[in-house]
Amino acid sequence: MTHYELATQNDLIENPSPRCPCMVVLDTSSSMSGAPITQLNEGMQTFLQALNEDEVAACSVEVGVITAGSSVREELPFTSALNIDGCNSFSAGGMTPLGGAVNLALQKLEERKAEYKRAGVPYYQPWLVIISDGEPNDSWQAAAAQAKQLSSQNKLVSLVVGVEGANLATLGEFSHRPALMLQGLKFNAFFQWLSASMSRVSQSASTTAQVDLPPMDGWASI
Amino acid sequence: MTQLTTVFDFQGQPQQLAKKLGEGGEGVIYPLAQRPEVLVKIYHERELAKRGKILQEKVEAMRGVTQLASEKSVSWPLISVFDAQQRWLGYAMYKAEGKDMFLLAHSMLYKKHFPGLDRRAITGYLINLVQQLKTLQDHGVMIGDYTLHNLLCQPNSDKVTLIDCDSYQLQFNGRHYASPVGTPDMTPIEHHGKAFSDLVRTKESEAFSLAIILFKCLMLGRHPYDIVGGEDPVTNLKRGDFAYGVGNKGIPAGPWYNIWSHMPHRLKSSFIATFTEGANDPAKRTSLEEWLEILTLYGKEIDKDWHEVAITPSEPKPKKYHGNNRSISQSASHC
Ligand SMILES: Nc1ncnc2c1ncn2[C@@H]1O[C@H](COP(=O)(O)OP(=O)(O)O)[C@@H](O)[C@H]1O
Ligand SMILES: [Mg+2]
Repeated sequence: MTHYELATQNDLIENPSPRCPCMVVLDTSSSMSGAPITQLNEGMQTFLQALNEDEVAACSVEVGVITAGSSVREELPFTSALNIDGCNSFSAGGMTPLGGAVNLALQKLEERKAEYKRAGVPYYQPWLVIISDGEPNDSWQAAAAQAKQLSSQNKLVSLVVGVEGANLATLGEFSHRPALMLQGLKFNAFFQWLSASMSRVSQSASTTAQVDLPPMDGWASI
Repeated sequence: MTQLTTVFDFQGQPQQLAKKLGEGGEGVIYPLAQRPEVLVKIYHERELAKRGKILQEKVEAMRGVTQLASEKSVSWPLISVFDAQQRWLGYAMYKAEGKDMFLLAHSMLYKKHFPGLDRRAITGYLINLVQQLKTLQDHGVMIGDYTLHNLLCQPNSDKVTLIDCDSYQLQFNGRHYASPVGTPDMTPIEHHGKAFSDLVRTKESEAFSLAIILFKCLMLGRHPYDIVGGEDPVTNLKRGDFAYGVGNKGIPAGPWYNIWSHMPHRLKSSFIATFTEGANDPAKRTSLEEWLEILTLYGKEIDKDWHEVAITPSEPKPKKYHGNNRSISQSASHC
């Protein structure tokens, strides 16, 4: 067993909080070079910090990160926000294998849910957050259809965020909610909103409750 | 929303508000600038628009229960507050001291927020909690929406204060005021599938939700219906699938079994009865009066050194352990 596996298994044993797994899929293709990837990296730090400022959320929310760039990489396996000290900085390069990344994300979410069940840990509807400035250029249709179906069945909260230049029509296929266009490079505002949403979820006592997202125009319109 | 700065009492006397203290789904809490021990709850505009009249009537009825207004351990609504146009906005109450009970009922967070906590201290809080619920019931009040977040515990004491009282159910002068909120994983089966605002909470429904709070505090945040290989807690609750007791099947890995095994026999059998047969049959649930007796006795027995006080005992209780006292105790164990 690797060191990491030990740590996460202990976490499921020691911490009784209901979990909300949140897999963040980041487009790190070459078009994200420069300001976008810098802002994205800063946004991720904000997200983790904000989660840790709310102890209830920090014990409940588990964050994972998968990047889609030169390759599809699991950068951060699901870890309780409480146990995340910081997040690697990502650099941009390569194509946009979003289909592969979302496939991997859905697979990791399924695996995590199975681990929760084995540990007797209750969980909220999992979250998938996709951030991209382009459109996928691998075979993405099946992954998108699966994410969309799960989200329309309320088995997944799938949030798709387009950065300027993104093909929103294509990205919109990954959820039953419309993809949102991020104004400028307001990654920080988006991640603040995301952490506030997750705080709200972790405060709701029942894991089966419907997810009631705070209004999006808060960050999207600024 | 613009920050409110002044509110008025019924006579039109103004009071300045200090910086917002907290916010919930229904309203915002501000201290008075001149009297920080007094808080006002100002309902969100949308709540006032939707059910302002009912809220006002309920708060006015609550004010009528004067015996509770003088209870220091309940942040009871004391007076109504209005805006400059005499429109009703909410109510004033005393500020409660203490920390969210969620921070106590959590195997990791208690270490930071309640350092030095032991089983005797947890029992002390719980005895007080049950006593207060009894006082409320004696005045026709039921909690309805049980949540750890609305119970504040003062570290290094046994003091518990109840907040968010406007959500309680009240029977006053022949009228029923509903508790319109709740969560399914704290609600007994007979109240599932109906709107919370249509429910009439009973002593038995309260006893069920209370038992979950007691279990969570003694078990450091574990929900009684968390089961290995089971469904979500709400589904398990509806089936009365409780892992502890005969066979102990499905208890999650971790410190939970050890903690459970050290509880006195009567405490364990009360949980078992409430969470298995009692899930479907309200009459089988341990009553508030019984909980009070059981917890008080547990506290006394701990004082006599009959029980483990460690928060997470490193070993389960030896099978035939009867305490180091031979006389009859609650601790003879077969569960
Ligand atoms: N009497 C009180 N004493 C201390 N803090 C309070 C009191 N009432 C409310 N608060 C704080 O304000 C928050 C929101 O208040 P609450 O009445 O629970 O609002 P809501 O009903 O909208 O959830 C609480 O979680 C708590 O932190
Ligand atoms: Mg509240």
